[in-house]
Amino acid sequence: MALKSAQAFFIGWAKKPPKGLRPFLWAISAVLIGAAAGVSFGLGVSVPDPGSGSFQWGAGYQVLEGVVESKPYPVLRVKPEAAGDTAKTILLSGVGKRGVQTRADPLDGQNVKVGGVMLERGSISMLQVGGKVQITPLDKPADSYTPQAAEDLGKWRLTGEICDGKCYSGAMRPGIGLAHKACANLCIIGGIPPVFVTTGAVQGTNFFLLADPAGNPVPEAIYDVVGRLVTLEGNVERRDDLLVFKADFATVKYNW
Amino acid sequence: MSVKYVPVIWNRTKFAYDAVVLAMIGTYLGLYLYIAPAFQSVTKPIDGHIYWAQAFGSCVFLLLTVILCVGPLARLDKRFLPLLYNRRHLGVMTCVLALFHVSYVIDWYYAFSPINKYAAVLFSNTSYAEFLGFPFEILGLFALLILLVLACTSHDFWLHFLGPPTWKTLHMGIYFAYALVVGHVALGALQGAAGPLMSTVVVGSVALVVSLHLVAARKEKVTDTDSPPEDKEDTKWLDLGDPLSIPDKRALIVSIDESERVAVFRNGTKVSAISNVCAHQNGPLGEGKIVYGCVTCPWHGYQYRLEDGCSPPPFKEKIPTYRLRLEKGRLQLNPEALPAGTYVEPVQLSG
Repeated sequence: MALKSAQAFFIGWAKKPPKGLRPFLWAISAVLIGAAAGVSFGLGVSVPDPGSGSFQWGAGYQVLEGVVESKPYPVLRVKPEAAGDTAKTILLSGVGKRGVQTRADPLDGQNVKVGGVMLERGSISMLQVGGKVQITPLDKPADSYTPQAAEDLGKWRLTGEICDGKCYSGAMRPGIGLAHKACANLCIIGGIPPVFVTTGAVQGTNFFLLADPAGNPVPEAIYDVVGRLVTLEGNVERRDDLLVFKADFATVKYNW
Repeated sequence: MSVKYVPVIWNRTKFAYDAVVLAMIGTYLGLYLYIAPAFQSVTKPIDGHIYWAQAFGSCVFLLLTVILCVGPLARLDKRFLPLLYNRRHLGVMTCVLALFHVSYVIDWYYAFSPINKYAAVLFSNTSYAEFLGFPFEILGLFALLILLVLACTSHDFWLHFLGPPTWKTLHMGIYFAYALVVGHVALGALQGAAGPLMSTVVVGSVALVVSLHLVAARKEKVTDTDSPPEDKEDTKWLDLGDPLSIPDKRALIVSIDESERVAVFRNGTKVSAISNVCAHQNGPLGEGKIVYGCVTCPWHGYQYRLEDGCSPPPFKEKIPTYRLRLEKGRLQLNPEALPAGTYVEPVQLSG
C-alpha cells in the first residue's frame, strides 16, 4: 500500500485523486482535524484564571455618600452607615477608559453623593460613576462627615505590577499582564486610577493606589513600567482601608 | 490551467480541499469557544471578546505553521503534494481569521477610550526600547499587512502580471510574517495571558517548521551536487548515461548549475529535455509525470508538450527546451537552453 501511494501521481484538476493516494489523503485529513481538536481543547481548557473581579451589576445602581478626595486620583471616603462601622475608601472612575478627575477636583474635600455601578476584586472596590446622580455636592448635609486623617505607614519597598485600577477590578478579565499593557496605558492616560498589585499581601491587602512621591498623579514615565514585575520604593499612607503607595519611580528595578 | 481570468477556478479537488480546511477550522473554533469553557478552572470566565480573540489568534498561528510545513513535506514525500495544490485558499482563509482576531482585540482593548481606537494601537504603548513590554501589537499589525498583501495577490492574475519569480519572491514574505507572528505571540500571549500549553505549542510549531525546512534543504543540496560529468571529447555535452535507466513517463533531473535544472523525460522509446521550472509557479516539472502525452507539473497540473515545451492549445505557457543526442548508447545533454517553445526532435531509442 505504501509503495502504491508513493507512486501515485496527483493531478489537482483530475476528477479524483489516484486510488493509491486516497487512503493517505483520508488519513492526513483525519490527523489534521484531530490535531485541531486536541490542540484547541487543550489550549481552551488551560487558560489562566482571570480572577474574581467583576462589575457588580446584580447589586444595581449604587448611591453612596461621603467625602470626595481628588488627589492623587479621585476616591470617596464613604461615610459609615452606623456608628462603629468600619470606614471605607473606594476608587472612582468614569465610564469606559475615563477618569473623573475634572469632576472631582472642584469638590475636593466636600461631602458629596456619588452614583454608579460597583466593581470589586478582593479588597479593592471601585465605583464607575454615571447615571443620574454622578458626583453631586450635598447642599445641606444632615450631619456632615469628616474622615480620619491619612496615616503615614513609613517607607516601603514593594514588588508587584502596575495596573489600571478599573481593569484589575474586573472591568476586563484578564486585566493584568503584558498582553494587557496597551489597554492599561490607555486607561491610565484617560484618568483611571493606577494601582500597584503586590506579589504578596502587605498590611492585609495586595493592592495600593499609586501616586508620585508628592501624592500627585503618576508621571508619564510609568507607561513603560506598566504590566511588568518591578520593585519600587516609596512611602505608604493609609486612608481607611485604602493604602496609597507614593512611589519613587527613580528606584524602579525590573524583576524579569 | 486557464485561458482567461475568473475569480476562482473551482474543481472537485478544490472543493474537497476547502471542505477539509473548513472542517479543521470549524473543529478548532467550535471546541475552543463552546466546549472548552465548560472544563476550565476559572473563578469567573474570561471576557468574551478576549477569549474569541485568543481562539482566532491561536488558530491563525497554527494555520500559518501548517502552511509553512506543507512545502518541505511535499519536497520530502510526494504524497503531501495534494496539500500544496490549493494552499492559496488556506492562506486566504488564514488572513480572514486574522482579521477577526484583530477586530476582537481592537473592539475591546482599544475601545471605550476618548482616543481613536485605531490610533491607540500605535500610540498607547511606545516602549520600543524594551524587550519585555515591547508593543507586540505592532509585530502583529505588520504580519497582518503582509498576509493581506499575499491574500490580495494570490490570484493567478497577479502571478502573470508580476511574473513567477517576482510573485514567488513576494510570497516568500510569508516567512517574514510568520517570524513577526512568533514575536507577537512570544511577547504578548506567552507573557501570562495564555496557559503553559500555549508555550509548548509555539515552541513545538517553530521547531517543526525550522527542522522540516532544514531536512528538505539538505535533500535539495544532495540532489544539486549530483551534476553529470562532461563528455571527455566534447565538453559542450553532458553525459547522462543509459537512457533506459530513466523510468518510463518520468524524468531524470539534471543540475546544470545552482540555478538551472533540466528535466529529461522518457516517453516509451522517445526522450526529450525541457526546463525543470514550470511557467506557472516555478514548480519542479521533473518531479511530474507524462499524462495524456504531456509533462504534467506535480504542483498544479500545468501541462507541456515534450518536443517544444508548449502547453497544448488553447493554453499559451511555454518553457525552454534542450537538445539531446545518443552517443554509443549513452544519452547526452547540451546544457545550453533553447528559447521557450523551440521544437527539438526527441531522441528515438531503439526497441
